[in-house]
Amino acid sequence: MILPLLIIAVSALLSLVFVYMAITEKDLLKAVAFSAGQSICYAILLQVMAAPDIAMTYIAVSVGLYSAILLFTISKTERYEEVGK
Amino acid sequence: MRSGYVAMALVVIAALLPLVFVSVVPVDVPRALRELGKYYVLNTIKDSASPEAVAAVVWDYRGLDTIYETVVLYLAIVGGLAIFRISREVAKRAIIGLTVLTQTATKVIALLIATISSAIALHGHLTPGGGFPGGSALAITSMLIVPVFSVYSLLERGITSTRLIAVRGLALTALGLVALLPVIRGLEIVTNQRFYPAGLGPFVISGSISMYNLFEFFAVASGFTAVAIYLSIPEELYRAELGVGGA
Repeated sequence: MILPLLIIAVSALLSLVFVYMAITEKDLLKAVAFSAGQSICYAILLQVMAAPDIAMTYIAVSVGLYSAILLFTISKTERYEEVGK
Repeated sequence: MRSGYVAMALVVIAALLPLVFVSVVPVDVPRALRELGKYYVLNTIKDSASPEAVAAVVWDYRGLDTIYETVVLYLAIVGGLAIFRISREVAKRAIIGLTVLTQTATKVIALLIATISSAIALHGHLTPGGGFPGGSALAITSMLIVPVFSVYSLLERGITSTRLIAVRGLALTALGLVALLPVIRGLEIVTNQRFYPAGLGPFVISGSISMYNLFEFFAVASGFTAVAIYLSIPEELYRAELGVGGA
């Protein structure tokens, strides 16, 4: 009974850290990687909460497709966010 | 990265808190099913011949909603294609991919993902999964192939975004036909068990659920592959098309 709670607590908090790092990161490629990390934490949460259907869709869309589309978009603009504005 | 370490330490401390909490206060997770959940657990197999309650809810109990969702996604991808369209042919260039090592690894991974995604989609009426997750997983193969082998390797094989949109249109038409066919017999739209058979020979196909999953699989995979292709057309082509900037 304790293990699911522990996993939920760790991955929920870890996702918070990833969100913070994704927002503050100036290198957009790294920010996408942090965002994918946050998505993995959420996928673990969904799996522990016994929603494998949602977890499967969530991994495919938010780790795979979303990151890939963002990478394509970054390749069309600039990699670094401008500092000091 | 000092703040990162501090954050990690905070995570460890905060993760230990529920451990302390549970050891002090006895936590009891409710295990009884609510009435609604009980209904689905007991009646899904009878109503839609599918042992998977989620697939039954998505494609049978609320089938019409899911079909509308599919149409919305279709329109979004068509809209994207309209914004990113170019009138001229994409000029063929030398295919420059990444190194042989990366390409071989990508081939293996792409094969694995394609196998797993079709298993997710075709088993969607029996196990967790379905057309949408399967299709999105298959689309990841094309998102891998485009950077590793370059977009021209896809275009050279005749996989263009216009053709993929056509495949998506066909798959959606088939999906709509599956939904509409029961109307001929005077049944309501998106009827499952009263019109479609539960099994086909030795296979459980759960009526229309497996058909919906199959067509949704093709629709989603081709749609997202089209997105990958039109996002990877180089920016210079658009500049030349608009006649701005010295490309």
